[in-house]
Amino acid sequence: MKRWMLVVLVIVAAALLPLALNPTGYWIRVLTFTLLFAAMAQAWNLIGGLANQTSLGHAAFFGIGAYTSTILLLKFGISPWIGMIAGGALGGLAAFIIAIPTMRLQGHYFALATLAFGEVMRVIANVWTPLTGGPGGLSVPFVPPSFAAYSFKQLLPHTYIALIALIIVTVIFEVIRRGAMGYRLRAIKENPAAAEVIGIDTTKVKLQTAVISGVLMAMLGTLYAQVAVFFDPDTVFSAAAISIRVALIAILGGVGTPIGPILGALFIIPVEELMNDLFSAGAAGLSQLIFGVILIAVILWRPRGFITVFDALIARLSSRGVR
Amino acid sequence: MSFLQAILDGLLVGGVYAVISIGLTLVYGVMGIVNFAQAEFLMIGMFVSWFAWAYLGLDPVLAAPLSFAVAFALGWLVQGQLIARMLKAPSAAQIFLTVGLLIVLENGALLSFGSQFRSVTTSYQTMSLSLGALFISVPYLIAFGMSLACGVALWWFMRTSWFGRAMRATAQNPMAAQLMGIDTALMYKMAFALGVGLTAFGGAVILPYVTVYPSVGGQFVVLMFTVVVLGGLGSVAGAVVGGLAVGVIQALSALFFPIQLQNLFLFLVFILVLAVRPQGLVGASR
Repeated sequence: MKRWMLVVLVIVAAALLPLALNPTGYWIRVLTFTLLFAAMAQAWNLIGGLANQTSLGHAAFFGIGAYTSTILLLKFGISPWIGMIAGGALGGLAAFIIAIPTMRLQGHYFALATLAFGEVMRVIANVWTPLTGGPGGLSVPFVPPSFAAYSFKQLLPHTYIALIALIIVTVIFEVIRRGAMGYRLRAIKENPAAAEVIGIDTTKVKLQTAVISGVLMAMLGTLYAQVAVFFDPDTVFSAAAISIRVALIAILGGVGTPIGPILGALFIIPVEELMNDLFSAGAAGLSQLIFGVILIAVILWRPRGFITVFDALIARLSSRGVR
Repeated sequence: MSFLQAILDGLLVGGVYAVISIGLTLVYGVMGIVNFAQAEFLMIGMFVSWFAWAYLGLDPVLAAPLSFAVAFALGWLVQGQLIARMLKAPSAAQIFLTVGLLIVLENGALLSFGSQFRSVTTSYQTMSLSLGALFISVPYLIAFGMSLACGVALWWFMRTSWFGRAMRATAQNPMAAQLMGIDTALMYKMAFALGVGLTAFGGAVILPYVTVYPSVGGQFVVLMFTVVVLGGLGSVAGAVVGGLAVGVIQALSALFFPIQLQNLFLFLVFILVLAVRPQGLVGASR
């Protein structure tokens, strides 16, 4: 019954944490990206966790969001807040278009098809130079700092926007998971044929989930563009740095649970940063190598995610008669 | 004429694509795991062959068996130590184990050999034969021939040897195979090691016309997936058809469209085939 209090406590702690960090320092940047990636992994969790479809192409929607708001700002001076909505709409459309041919696919096949879709977007962004700037990338133009223009002198407002985004996406995830749609998705996950028999339009439900996930992911792309200030096709449409990473974050944390993506991001992003920090002075590749080794170790240790650590802990405590 | 030339070039390159992709389909066929790190074994094969050329003076094509052996040993180790523990894990965890392997192999190579591009020089590198109005590039032809030989050897091994039959039996029904006294764990090791060995072999034979660097696998990964999906994931015969088809698609799209769009067509074909015939063009062998 006291669960909501715990949630409020965590949010308050998260809101106070940025104030404790040096506002021009390195760790506030790490925190901002951790929150942003947690939100992205949560958006992925809708399709990857609830619909049980391991998408490896979410960079497609992410990149669409980053490009849409930045192009609108560059060419027409439209505020990124509005650009974010436009990007969300386009991201949803893209998710709809790719979902139609791939929704019936399962497991590895779905993963591979979505991976290829992300690559298609990367190639298009690289080639369509007049619009995207091609391989040279785009710089978010400088405008006088104001909330309406989504432009700030410091990183702190970005940190809070990322935190709010994470909360919003998590709430949407929970509402869907606990609502009628969540039950339909669970039925599909357990037994697609039986779900069909009891009258669930499985294609429609999966399609809806995919579109919501795509919209959210694209909107987060705008957030990223505004923090990063510069990006190119190979960063925002990157299979490794975006698609695979967000899926990995959700899976390492615990796929299908609201806390999983947050746990995953709290682990992956700081560990990556720490490795870079510790070993970037050393030989090239060392930090990533160590990251890979840690990744393999964690997957071998907890194939179903960090969240199972808590389950095991609770099981042990209750079997001892505590509680 | 340039149309025929493109098809010929496509077929020659496609034969190599077939051999580097057979490993991917073989591993999936036998144990149901998609190895995302497969292309990194191609890179390892290329490096082994490059070092054999640089320090032993061996022709990269002749070093191919050495590449095969190194990757085979590495694959044996990886299957026994890592993949074997994940056979019953959720498919997402399996995907990410091999992604982890990809990161380790690529950055291990970067750490050991540096990021510079390396290529070999051979006497036949720029030679070509003329066949009427058509030209056949000698390094392409040699790579194709070696790949063909390797493919035939695998086919012969799978058909006639006890190991081959036991491996096919394991692919069809691991439980029944085990009851018949087949050590399925050994078969899994064999399939994985053989699969990555073949890919490394392919890496060695293309060295005369492809430069090697630690992240070279990225160039080949979607290509390899397209090949196996075209042919049907798990079907070795399908990989051959898929390899040739991908080679020709690439060559033809390069003929009509800018080179940057070459991969776009590949991806679109890939998504289309997955959507329309996920079992592959050749049909369901699994």
